[in-house]
Amino acid sequence: MAKPRTQTAEGDSPDRWEAQLRKGALEMAALASLWKGRLYGLEIIRFLENQSSLSLAEGTIYPILNRLKVEGMLASEWVEAEAGHPRKYYSLTESGRQRLCLMAEAWFDFSRGLSRLLEPVMENQEIPQ
Amino acid sequence: MTTELAIDNYLTSLRLHLGPLTIAEREEIVREIGAHIRDSAEESGTSVETVLARLGPATDLAAQYREGLLIRTASRSFSPLVLLRAALRLATKSIFGIFVFFCSVIGYSFGAGFVVVAFAKAIVPSHTGAWVQDGRLVSAGAFVYGMPPMAHEVLGMWAIPLGLIAGSLTLLLTTFLVRNSLRISQRVQARL
Repeated sequence: MAKPRTQTAEGDSPDRWEAQLRKGALEMAALASLWKGRLYGLEIIRFLENQSSLSLAEGTIYPILNRLKVEGMLASEWVEAEAGHPRKYYSLTESGRQRLCLMAEAWFDFSRGLSRLLEPVMENQEIPQ
Repeated sequence: MTTELAIDNYLTSLRLHLGPLTIAEREEIVREIGAHIRDSAEESGTSVETVLARLGPATDLAAQYREGLLIRTASRSFSPLVLLRAALRLATKSIFGIFVFFCSVIGYSFGAGFVVVAFAKAIVPSHTGAWVQDGRLVSAGAFVYGMPPMAHEVLGMWAIPLGLIAGSLTLLLTTFLVRNSLRISQRVQARL
């Protein structure tokens, strides 16, 4: 039973859990991608793919951006581009910036604690059955 | 141009399924997704079909836009129908949601019940109220028939103001509870 650890395809609950986790993190990731300046939707998707392994169904990001905008975390503007059609650029608002800082802090506390908790589990996996 | 047609079909379907949004919101979304499709296809030289497949079905995409919307607008609404629908949506997601939904159904039923009693008292006064026999309550409500002769009605015309007050208080309380639960769920969701 030497299954590769990263592939937990059997039984859908770990998969579902991972999907939930990714989805939850996506909002934070979207905010983080705008930390250095404005980007449009496709740039955000590419940025997330390159910077993290957050490959995603491309459709998921747009409703999230829309919601963050309604919540006042993001501002948007249409900018004419040489592509021939305008693009919708997003940028962080002041409250978006604050929210992201709080999220980052909470995230690091949380993941540090969890990593400590999971250390024995990871060590245990090296022991042959 | 079949690719133009494919894009048009996708955007038309998206627009159609974004129904509940305002026209301005809808057009902005369609415009943004349209720009995404064109940029995405040009950027990597991938076919429009692939780009559309990566976006997922237009119905799913529209559903994701609407999902946040229902709960968001409901948390600002006073309409029992809108609130009940949002509570039902919440119920499909969590135990907390199921609890909220049941509370809202019970709350609205009781609230409406009290109001019905008040109106019924004005229409059929002799069959509406609360009946007591030997010191205990035998029956209460509107359109009550076949009470034992020994039971007597205790509320009298007070049933009208009492019904109205109890009804509006129950309805208000239910509305307040559902709206707050929706807000809490939104905040919880926003945090992860």
